[in-house]
Amino acid sequence: MLSRVAESIFWMARYMERTNRMLRMLHTKYISSQDEITDFSWNSVLKTYSDKPEEEFVLFEKDSSKVLEHLVTDRDNSFSVINNIIRARENARSVQDHITKEVWQCLNEYFHVIRDPSIEFNIQKGDPVTSLEILIRQGMLYNGTVDVTMAREEGFNFLNIGRFLSRAVITTDLLNIKLTEYNYDLKKHAEDPTWRFLLYSLSGYELYLKTNRGNLYAKLVIEHVLYNTDFPHSLLYSLTRLKRYFERLKDKSTPESYSQLEFRIGRCFNNIKYSNIAGNSELLKKFLQEIRGELFDIANLFNKLYFGNT
Amino acid sequence: MDAHPLLSDYFEQPAVWDEMFADDAIRSQYKNFVAAIENILPEEMTRKDEQAKKLFMAQGITFTVYSSGEGIEKIFPFDVVPRIIKWDEWKHIEKGIKQRLKALNIFLTDIYHQQFIIRDGIIPAKLIYSCPNFLREMVNVTVPFDIYTHISGVDLIRDHDGTFYVLEDNLRTPSGVSYMLENRSITYRIFPDLIPKNNVLPVKDYPDRLLKNLLSLSNRQNSNPVVVLLTPGMYNSAYFEHSTLARLMGIELVEGRDLVVENHFVYMKTTRGLEKVDVIYRRVDDDFIDPLVFRPDSMLGVPGIYWAYRKGNVSIVNAMGNGVADDKAIYAYVPDMIRYYLNEEPILKNVPTYQMADLEKRKMVFETMDKMVIKRTNASGGYGMLIGSDATEKQMDEFKKAIEEDPRNYIAQPIINLSSSPCYIGGKLQPRRVDLRPYALYGPEGVDIVPGGLTRVALREGSLVVNSSQGGGSKDTWVLGS
Repeated sequence: MLSRVAESIFWMARYMERTNRMLRMLHTKYISSQDEITDFSWNSVLKTYSDKPEEEFVLFEKDSSKVLEHLVTDRDNSFSVINNIIRARENARSVQDHITKEVWQCLNEYFHVIRDPSIEFNIQKGDPVTSLEILIRQGMLYNGTVDVTMAREEGFNFLNIGRFLSRAVITTDLLNIKLTEYNYDLKKHAEDPTWRFLLYSLSGYELYLKTNRGNLYAKLVIEHVLYNTDFPHSLLYSLTRLKRYFERLKDKSTPESYSQLEFRIGRCFNNIKYSNIAGNSELLKKFLQEIRGELFDIANLFNKLYFGNT
Repeated sequence: MDAHPLLSDYFEQPAVWDEMFADDAIRSQYKNFVAAIENILPEEMTRKDEQAKKLFMAQGITFTVYSSGEGIEKIFPFDVVPRIIKWDEWKHIEKGIKQRLKALNIFLTDIYHQQFIIRDGIIPAKLIYSCPNFLREMVNVTVPFDIYTHISGVDLIRDHDGTFYVLEDNLRTPSGVSYMLENRSITYRIFPDLIPKNNVLPVKDYPDRLLKNLLSLSNRQNSNPVVVLLTPGMYNSAYFEHSTLARLMGIELVEGRDLVVENHFVYMKTTRGLEKVDVIYRRVDDDFIDPLVFRPDSMLGVPGIYWAYRKGNVSIVNAMGNGVADDKAIYAYVPDMIRYYLNEEPILKNVPTYQMADLEKRKMVFETMDKMVIKRTNASGGYGMLIGSDATEKQMDEFKKAIEEDPRNYIAQPIINLSSSPCYIGGKLQPRRVDLRPYALYGPEGVDIVPGGLTRVALREGSLVVNSSQGGGSKDTWVLGS
């Protein structure tokens, strides 16, 4: 497979994963902002998903519809959902002959859906949940279309590597956002009911309840998010899949590239699997930073060894 | 005329050949089609029209217009009423194009080798050497099977008496074939059953035939040669076509930056290292294909590819240097080429063409400019063109001045009234002018033309310009079986 094609598919998947996780998070966050919490602020979200300096966004960080507009449909914010979709589509467009027609059409439709004036109208003046739900549904359609139509070839492996790499990054980020909101004080927030919003945005609340009947405990939530391999958005699950799709590339790689990356991915996987930090906020903070760094190293190695960008 | 509401306003224009009507009666090839749509209510027709637009949009069959930052995606306007061609008309076209391509191809071989045609005084040497698309780099380069024009799109128009004329030979990188394929697939959707009932000949095997020809050009003794399609990239207006063709043929779609030349062989950069490339179907113009030989500022080409080609290590389709044969000034000599090389009379007529370099002709053209079309010899897409009957005095004076400064680069042709074909516009059928571009494939086994082609239509009332950049659209083109 052409290096350029592999790279485009990889990035298409990364942007789509970002889009979908971001929408879910915004959906949860918006609903929670309407629900009982006084003096709600989007500050921690804007820090991650806005390219504007803090002194600019503090001016509107308490205005939900402004924030959502900025994060969803604002083309001047390079991390906005619409820009993610545009980039995913541009990547897909340049590899149309390597993804199925259905996947291309689905992404193309996504682009037309988010540009529909009703989406922006609902975010600004109507019910933002409606807009977010329409977009989330389109995202699920994309995931389903990929799974049902794409041939299990090299392209599919790169697509999934991109998808799970991004998923791991996002899970790390969302956990970090949550902990930052609590100032990394696990004792004070050990049984805080707002932990459930983290689980909602990772689509993991129901599974948490089934696994750990009863109340929300910080340590259990964190363990669920980090280690539960039945939970498709946990960090360990993402790395397991990443590893698996990478291993499938073995006979399509040069031996040197393969062994270098295998080492990095394996090390990151083990660092997660054999860690025990869910109860210690100091270690946890350091751990999340380290894992994030390792994930970016992996992405850089793909860039260098497989996509030919030195 | 018919009492049917769709047809009630259809009027024939004087001195224009209409594809559907002749003396208030419907031509035989359209009878079935008209009978089928007679029962369709106007609202339903409008719905079909809208459905077609939606289908194009949803499939991303768009071209991008860059005006302000982010491109605007437009669909190439599609008219739902097909253009229908009878079997015997088609046979005539097919024979004519085959003859023409055979001659043009011999001309290219000749002009880049011995140049008998110049020595025998058929074409003046000056005309050849003053053509900017005559590539000295191609002189004495032997191309596989002596084929230069692997893919060509010959533009045909019809005068008021129904005679077909060749307006232009596109021998470099003719585009539009994906619209021929897509238009047909849209017609299936909006008029169920109509295509089989009318015995319309299929166009869908175009990609297979093209791939067969491309594979046969490989120089390597290998059962599975590597064929790629070289595109300028996704910002090219024809990118949709490039990706569609690559997908339909199952070949790799590459950009210049994906290829690299090493030791006069061409390789593509893959996740597993370099892989050798045997045949390149390129959609990048000659000027841009190799920055070391042609335009040094080109980012679209592959440095060194020219020498790999010259050595025969890679086949390039179409060959380089074809522009000398479809130059608008050389065009005038194609009938002579047919007589000279094939000893046959041309089957398809040329539109009379006057070289502006010829003083007498120039004088005559200047006097009757309102009945002439003036064209730059190297422009396309409907640019650099003046239609005398629509031009103002000022425009004419500007052209006269430009011609006098550089006569070699202009030709004049009498205005030919393009034939009209019914289009569904504003809730009823209205006549609009059309041309026809069939696509011919030239392989080691001869010339092959899929029955059909792209019918382009000038959607503005009274307009004679069918180019998509000038408000043109297209139609599905049916060739009926015998």
